[in-house]
Amino acid sequence: MLAKNKQKHETFAGRGGDKFSIGLRIMAGAFTLFMLVSLFYLYIAVGSSWSLVANALLDSRILGALWVSVSAAFIVGALAIIVAIPTAYVLTYSQFKGKSLVETLLIEFPQTFPPATVGLVYLLMLGPGSPINIAYTYPAVIIAKLYVSAPFAVSFTLRRFREIHKTGLDVIAESLGGKTRHILFWVLIPLSTIDLLGGFSLTWARAMGEVAATLIFAGAIPWRTEIFPAVVYLSSQSEPQLALAASLIAAALSIVALLLFKSIVGERR
Amino acid sequence: MSELIAENLSKSYGTVKALTKVNLTVRPGEFLVVMGPSGCGKTTLLLTILGVLTPDEGHIYIDGDKIDDLTIRERNMGYAPQDFGLFPHLSTYENVAFGLRVKGLGRSEVEAGVEAMLSLVGLDGLETRRPSELSGGQKQRVALARALAIDPYLLLLDEPLSNVDEATKVEVKVNMKEAIKRTGTTTVCVMHDPEDSLELGDRIAVMHSGRIIQLATPKDLIENPEGALVQKLLHRSFRS
Repeated sequence: MLAKNKQKHETFAGRGGDKFSIGLRIMAGAFTLFMLVSLFYLYIAVGSSWSLVANALLDSRILGALWVSVSAAFIVGALAIIVAIPTAYVLTYSQFKGKSLVETLLIEFPQTFPPATVGLVYLLMLGPGSPINIAYTYPAVIIAKLYVSAPFAVSFTLRRFREIHKTGLDVIAESLGGKTRHILFWVLIPLSTIDLLGGFSLTWARAMGEVAATLIFAGAIPWRTEIFPAVVYLSSQSEPQLALAASLIAAALSIVALLLFKSIVGERR
Repeated sequence: MSELIAENLSKSYGTVKALTKVNLTVRPGEFLVVMGPSGCGKTTLLLTILGVLTPDEGHIYIDGDKIDDLTIRERNMGYAPQDFGLFPHLSTYENVAFGLRVKGLGRSEVEAGVEAMLSLVGLDGLETRRPSELSGGQKQRVALARALAIDPYLLLLDEPLSNVDEATKVEVKVNMKEAIKRTGTTTVCVMHDPEDSLELGDRIAVMHSGRIIQLATPKDLIENPEGALVQKLLHRSFRS
């Protein structure tokens, strides 16, 4: 009897078939629909104007934005990994006062801090009137995106380094005579490859989508600092086809990056 | 062959006393088993000797030299934890070569060292296998070969038989003791099983509640257990 009940239980996708459970599923389904419609409506909206959008895809401004966005996102992803490794190492192994606060400021805070404010801070710090003025340049695009996106790479790397630390493999490496460089390059990094790739993918995707900080600090100069979201924002009224074309590419690139990330992380699980 | 002296070692975790004034001398080349039930402080003792944990009081000496301030790396002790701690991304060969490579030895020296160790523990032919492709007994032997490869002052083994299946346990036990004896490495081995302890140890330190309550040869321990507690621990198959 018990076995029969269990079987019945399993046919209801794991947990019960009561009214409350059905209610939960309806709510989850509605939310999923809301998210999917928002994502794919873009492709529906293109509708009959495919040819206009296709032409816009070859627009010099779009190509410029493609170059700036994609190249900057790659540079930001690479820089994020380069800074994530030492940062995660120090946060894993060093004990100091205010460590938790530092961790919050490096990881959680940049993800919740308004990006527009980030752009403004950099404009004041590294803009006209400051000793170093790099506002409205390509490096400004990198800096603005790095602040907003790098925490993803740091967070992924830190989580993995701490996991490895818990296994004690670092202690074994040290007992065998390993110095910091051996522990880092022979144990921590090789065992974190998937996580570093995952961190890179998410950082890349976030950098692709970031707009406010970049727009304020780097402006939107075609082929120099103008990125996809800026094209969408600035041309949505005057040239909707252009905005739509930019959105299509940006959304497609984000989806590809996230699918890539999921497949990388899924491989380890 | 080195001598280890632990002098008045104490260690607490908050209000819990894990070690209370532990005094222990391990003679050069000796295989000393620290035996006791789960939570008695035997792993804490091992990790304190290794340098992972800092004692609240007391000192540790190797061949008369105080090593309290030395780092794990500087202590040059071979360590094999309960789960063997093999590097999962490295082959058997690379695991054993790790300690030789970090010392900066040349390729031929590393090769000779690894071959000697794999032959010592009877693992020839398994050089290219990853830990995930090895049995419990084979993993144990790789961990042992890796720890011995660095020619350590002291070998520290934490429950070396707990992840080995019963069918191969006898063989693993014999091979392990033989390999260690052939290198002459002074060994401290933590175990919970009285039978294994009596079989392997040259001497056995019986631990209970953070104290060593008797230190004796297996024969003395069986013939003259000091008190009812030792007697009880010897006749009980405790699991950690």
